[in-house]
Amino acid sequence: MSTSSTHLSAEADTPLQTILVVEDEVLIRLVVAEYLRECGYRVHEAVSAQEAILILQAPEVSVDIVFSDVEMPGEMDGFGLARWVRSNKPETQVILTSGAERSADIAGTLCEAGPLMKKPYHTQEVVDRIKQLRATAKRF
Amino acid sequence: MSAASVTVLPRRTPPTILVVEGDVRIRYRVSDELRAWGFKVLEAGSAPEALTVLDAVPVDLLVLALDLPVAGSGWDVVRHIRERPAPTKMIVTSGEADPPGSLEPFVRKPYQTAEVARLAADSLNWPPPTQA
Repeated sequence: MSTSSTHLSAEADTPLQTILVVEDEVLIRLVVAEYLRECGYRVHEAVSAQEAILILQAPEVSVDIVFSDVEMPGEMDGFGLARWVRSNKPETQVILTSGAERSADIAGTLCEAGPLMKKPYHTQEVVDRIKQLRATAKRF
Repeated sequence: MSAASVTVLPRRTPPTILVVEGDVRIRYRVSDELRAWGFKVLEAGSAPEALTVLDAVPVDLLVLALDLPVAGSGWDVVRHIRERPAPTKMIVTSGEADPPGSLEPFVRKPYQTAEVARLAADSLNWPPPTQA
């Protein structure tokens, strides 16, 4: 059964937007994902960059924004995922989040991948950042 | 208009289901299906994640894969649940043979996500989406 019809748009006059939350700390992922769903977004969750890529490659899934932690276990971190998205899904935007100052500096090299949010962040900041990013994209 | 004879029933809070599945492609599909049926759905990709969520959030039903690929198995979660004073309901899944003991309902992989949703609705006395 299709699930898209059961979700409300985050903004009444815009089509439903799909966010992929990539976070290896389960309680952070749970809170962010639930908050975004309550705001009207359709949300997928991934534990790692590898899982995120599997979702992004699924033919039935269309992701508008990847919201990813930088520091994650496994072969690929958030920066690697952002590079993969830029190469393979250039229409998808990326928001990276990190608690590390160094990561913020490195993020400057990934300007196309979108802004980096520092932890801890308030979940409403995530929604505001997504709306800001979508508004910027519409101007181009 | 008469002021009498209109009864408004309170809207029931959706039950919370925790989907524990190591294969993300199965996890998001079954989670999406359950959300379409009106459930609140939480996701865990491993046994340690499931135990963390269970210790933090009230859960009405688990959809639990026994064949988790990393860091423990679904059996760790089963033992944790059984040690609780009020064990949480479970639907167990696996690509392997039927599990021993009384783990029911059991769904063999690959499965139709609607089958799991129907079992969840039956277990939680929740109406299917057309009646919700």
